[in-house]
Amino acid sequence: MSKKKKQNQEEVKAELNMSPMIDCCFLLLIFFVVNATQITVSKDPSIMMPNAIKCDDLKDANGCIVVNVFPPEQRMDVKLLSKFAEKYGGSPDTIWWSAADAGGKSQGFANDPAGREALADFIKKQRTALEEKPEFQGEGKSQIRLYLRGDANTPWLRSSLAITCAAKAGVNNIVFGTFPAKN
Amino acid sequence: MARHKTIQTEEQEDPEMNISSMIDCCFLLLIYFLVATSLVSEKKIDMTLPANSSSSPSSSPPPEPGNITIDASGQVQWGTGESLMPIGAPFDPSLTPGTPGYRDQRDMSDLVNELQTLSANAGETGPVIYLQANAATYHQRVIDVMSALAKAGIQRVNLKPAVED
Repeated sequence: MSKKKKQNQEEVKAELNMSPMIDCCFLLLIFFVVNATQITVSKDPSIMMPNAIKCDDLKDANGCIVVNVFPPEQRMDVKLLSKFAEKYGGSPDTIWWSAADAGGKSQGFANDPAGREALADFIKKQRTALEEKPEFQGEGKSQIRLYLRGDANTPWLRSSLAITCAAKAGVNNIVFGTFPAKN
Repeated sequence: MARHKTIQTEEQEDPEMNISSMIDCCFLLLIYFLVATSLVSEKKIDMTLPANSSSSPSSSPPPEPGNITIDASGQVQWGTGESLMPIGAPFDPSLTPGTPGYRDQRDMSDLVNELQTLSANAGETGPVIYLQANAATYHQRVIDVMSALAKAGIQRVNLKPAVED
């Protein structure tokens, strides 16, 4: 009788509870799924996006060359300003644009002839890198777009110059980043 | 005596509830809702600059272009010369998202109507739109115009370089 009881106890011990592991896996799965859809375009947090009544979802961020356009210093939030200085080592009065490369590393561009040239070169470099991929050859070439993330308070001059740089680099399709306007 | 003891231990084991899986589940839901609510995803407006490619010269005369100008105060104007027509009010930068009147300022239904008439008369090639904004105009104002263009179903626009005073 006592022997049987011992056997029972051993059997109970051998049972492994799988449910926490499954839960954990689920959690990780959802985390990665959400992350993977968000990585698509690297977004600079110091930009206050403009609002638009009519806008569409960005279905495919593949082929987007992201350029951020910063507002002048007095129109920027103080908190964002310190972050900006930390990231680009300067004031948005001189550094007007930033762009991120394929690795997600951001780079600031100053508004002087050298800076504008550097921006055009940067866009061109990304364009040629994209053109090597099979999905952007032939018809897909129009999928290479400039994703212009201009701050709502940016003077149009800055955005206009960024578009000019992109046109110089051979990118004619522009996507204006916006938020949907709430009521 | 021995019998009594075994019954007692069995009863003691019973009320123990395994709440770890419930905590896991709650965690999962918490994170799901946290992520789902914090995602206000960015939207976009597509625009294409007309490439200066050598398009085949068509026999029909080019359609009349639509001209949109935005001046330094953010006043949007439609047309050229004598037919210049102001659209909406000048831009008020003090209106921030959430304040009353913010959405009204974004709305450019007059411009949308003009653009729709233009594209209805333009035929197959689509209307030709010129957009010229002052260098000092807020980016938001240009986005308002882009939004109107998108609403009228126009995806090609000639962006003139920014004019400085």
